[in-house]
This record gives sequence, C-alpha cells and structure tokens, in this order.
Amino acid sequence: MWSRRTFIAEYSKSELQEQHFDSIFGQLWLILNPLLLSGVYYLLIVIIRGSSDSTRYAHLTASLFLFYLIANSLSSGVKSVTTGQKLILNTAFPRMMLPISAVVVAVTKFLPTLGVFLVIRTLIGLPVTWQMLWAIPVLLITILLALGLAIAISCINVYFRDIASFLPYLTRTLLYLSPILYEASTMIPKVRKFEVFNPLFPILDSWSRTMVHGQAPAMSSVLQALAWAIGIFLFGTYFFLSREREFAVRL
Amino acid sequence: MPSVSNSHKSGDIAVSVRDLSLTYTTAIDRKPTLKSRAKSLGRGTKQTRVVNALSHVNLDVEYGHVLGVIGANGAGKSTMMRVIAGILPPTEGRVEVFGKVSTLLALGVGFNPAMSGRKNVYLGGLAAGMSRGEIDDHFEEIADFSELGDAIDAPMRTYSSGMYARLAFSVAATTRPDILIVDEALSTGDAKFKEKSLNRMKELRGDDRALILVSHAMLTLRDICNDVAWIHKGKLVKRGNPDEVIDAYQEFLQVGKSAAIDEDV
Ligand SMILES: Nc1ncnc2c1ncn2[C@@H]1O[C@H](COP(=O)(O)OP(=O)(O)O)[C@@H](O)[C@H]1O
Ligand SMILES: [Mg+2]
Repeated sequence: MWSRRTFIAEYSKSELQEQHFDSIFGQLWLILNPLLLSGVYYLLIVIIRGSSDSTRYAHLTASLFLFYLIANSLSSGVKSVTTGQKLILNTAFPRMMLPISAVVVAVTKFLPTLGVFLVIRTLIGLPVTWQMLWAIPVLLITILLALGLAIAISCINVYFRDIASFLPYLTRTLLYLSPILYEASTMIPKVRKFEVFNPLFPILDSWSRTMVHGQAPAMSSVLQALAWAIGIFLFGTYFFLSREREFAVRL
Repeated sequence: MPSVSNSHKSGDIAVSVRDLSLTYTTAIDRKPTLKSRAKSLGRGTKQTRVVNALSHVNLDVEYGHVLGVIGANGAGKSTMMRVIAGILPPTEGRVEVFGKVSTLLALGVGFNPAMSGRKNVYLGGLAAGMSRGEIDDHFEEIADFSELGDAIDAPMRTYSSGMYARLAFSVAATTRPDILIVDEALSTGDAKFKEKSLNRMKELRGDDRALILVSHAMLTLRDICNDVAWIHKGKLVKRGNPDEVIDAYQEFLQVGKSAAIDEDV
C-alpha cells in the first residue's frame, strides 16, 4: 500500500480539483463554511442558554472542525468504492486506496480550519502550553478512526447502496451525542455513562482539553479513544479485505 | 524511445486458463439497498440473480502468438479478459499468468471523464502500479501515437469514442506489456488508426509478446491471429486455426439467421 502512495496523493488531488478547491474561492469556502457553521451553532447555544463566553465559542469551533474531519471522511468515503466502478472493473489494484484517498481529502480540508482555530484561540487569548502537544497524538487517533470508518462504510455501501442517504442522519446524531455543543465536564454523570458507546466522545473530549484549555487530556480518555480507533480500523480493514475480491462482480 | 525488453521466448506459455468458471451475482432490482433488503426480509424472497458468465473454459496463450477471441455479445469474452488481467477472481478453476498483463481497458481509460486525457493516463498508470517516472518516460510516445494533439489536455468527456479508443490503445501498446489484451477497442477507430494499430500489434507479436484480441472484425483476425477461440454462452466452442474457427462461427451465424427467418415465415 505504501508503494502506491503516489496514486493516493494524485487521486486525492484530482478529487479536490474537481471540487474546485484548487481555486482561491474554493479554499476560502473551505474556511468560511465551518466558520459560518460554528457561528450558527454558537447563536443556537446563546439562545438556548441565554449566555455564553469566548471559551465556549473556542470549544465549539475546535470540536466542530475535528468532527467535520470525521464526517467528511464518512461522506466522501461512503461512495468511494461505488464511484470507482470503472477503475475497479478495469484495473487490478488495491481497492482500499479509494477510501484512503477519501480520508486524505478530508484531512486536507481539515488543515486550513485548524489554522483558523489557532488564530481564533490567539485572538481570544487562551493559554498556550506544552500540554497542547497532546493534540498531535489525538489527531493521529482521529485519522485512524476516520480511516477505519471510511473503509468500513465504503464496503457496506457496495451491498446497501442507500447507506449514503442514511448517512446524514447518522452524522447528525453523532454530532448531538458528542461533546461539541456542550462540554463533557458539564454532563450529568448518569447520561455520561452511556458515552462509552460513542467512539467520538473520548476523542472530542481530549481534543477540547488540549486545544482549548491547554491541559493534558485524561489518560483514560486517550486510551479509550485509541482502543476505539484501533478496533474500528481493524474491523474495517478486515471486512474490506475479505470482501474486496467480490467488488468487481457486484458493481 | 524507451522500450521495455521482453524476457520471454516464443512458444513459452503466457497465460494458462484451467477449468475456469465465473459467476456474477447481481441484484434483481437495479441496486441492492437496505430498504429492499428489509422489505424482502418479511417475504423471504431471494435478493440476487446469478449469471454464469463462464463455465469450465480451458485455454492457453503462447508468447509470440496472437489469439483472437470471437463470440456474440454477452458470450463472456470481456469477462474472460478481466479474469486474465486479474481484475475478477475466478469462481472456480485457475488462471496462471506468466508475465505482466496490460488490458486495453486497464490503463487510465475513461477512468474519470471530468479530467483530461493526460490526467487519466497518469492516474490509470499509477493505479496499475507504474511509477510516475515510468509514465513520464512513456507519455510523449503515448501522445504521439494517439495523434490526439491538444485534445490530450481536454476533459475526456469531450472525447469521441474513436478518440477514447486511440488513447486507450496508445497507452496499452506503448507501455509494452508482456501480454496485451485488446477488447473490442479498435472497432471505433478510423481506418488510418486501425492500420497503425494493426502494425503495432504485428510488431509486438514479432517481439515475442503475447496478444489477445477480442474483435468482431473477422478479416483483421484472419490477417493477424495465429489462433482463434470462439466462445458461446460462456463455453469455449472451438479453438484453433483462424480460418477454420471463423468459418465455423460464420456458418453458425448464417444458420442462426436463416432459422430466425424461417421463424418469421
Ligand atoms: N458486472 C457485471 N455484473 C453482472 N453481470 C455481468 C457483468 N458484466 C457482464 N455480465 C454478464 O455476463 C455475461 C458475459 O458478459 P461479457 O463478458 O461482457 O460478454 P462479451 O464481452 O462477450 O459481450 C453477460 O450475460 C452479461 O450480462
Ligand atoms: Mg465485451
């Protein structure tokens, strides 16, 4: 797979070009879109809770941007195999390169938003600490999880072509169940217990702690996130590899 | 001109197909969906239709030879080419390939219609496992051979089927695979390009490479092939001397036709 990285890079690049993210306006939109979204959600929080502060806004943007990395991986990953039909029917190559390229596209879209967040947190004057380096392993765990999810869902979509239309409901549900519009620390313990079933929960919690509060994330959260990511990645790749040979006769 | 040399001798086996069967599993209604699965769960109806595209085919291809493959539409010719190229896993039986295969369909062709011919060649080549440098080396020759001119940088959706075929053949023929599979792609080219590609195929044959040519152009097949295989409904009916097999096939077509005429009367 590593030897085919040029294909993955080139394929993701052409995907991005097709979505016009090689133009100035495309890139601007890449930043503007999540910013507008975070603005809308912030408004929602202010209206519901009556008050809010800048830290809350920072938490919302940081979490939302990372959430969109996963959501974008899912939404472009889901159809990666079925739209690659022509290539699959005519070339012998590792099929997994298709969902992997989808995740590369999602990560590429994520990076500028990370820059935007760093600007925001500087403007707000949040503390800068060494603990923020925790963001790197947390981000890597997120990418591993995104890969696993994209690989699994692209394969499922071969058998159930309407998964793509259910996906928005799934991501919406995940958005509300994850500590994005609220902070994990403010949750009622009784409800929070159930969050062990949400793979995004420990990731987003750790991300907010390091990126927003500049603290080290709870070790248990990081380990839980890692366990989820490894588990889903292994499940996804196993599922994909065991089905891959069948794709060509099923597309 | 970069040229990949061929290490195989004339007469060596290039492809050996043993007792090959392949079945496609398709959904009964257009696309498999969760909704349709849920609906049929209650009724317990079967979801899939099975198509036996190939059954128990045995076939050898030798280096330095050109094998022609003929048969009606839907006979299973393309399916067999896909199995040989390693794209479809056989349902039953074995396919052994001694060398590097390139299908005409394989490299870059029409892979993404929104992108230019050039991009498609690069992406297809990379997917097929070539390095960027290798493609760079061949690209000029590909563009020259295809005679597409500036059109090589136009999106492929603006190509005519003839232009598609030109680019496809150029890619396949210039990368000089050990085994070249050409599946019905020459039929859309114009006379001049056809002639040029025929010459290239003869050149490859002379170079002790193996060629498999799926075509409905019987005159071409008689001219260039050493062997012809006739496939009918997934079975190998006859294989051997081109003239003999093609005559038998054409006779079969005539019989079919007259039977149909009789039916009309
Ligand atoms: N992807 C596919 N899924 C299901 N059935 C297919 C697929 N491709 C081909 N078939 C079926 O397999 C049979 C052989 O097709 P093919 O190999 O394309 O024939 P030919 O190339 O000789 O015209 C046909 O009945 C066709 O309907
Ligand atoms: Mg065909």
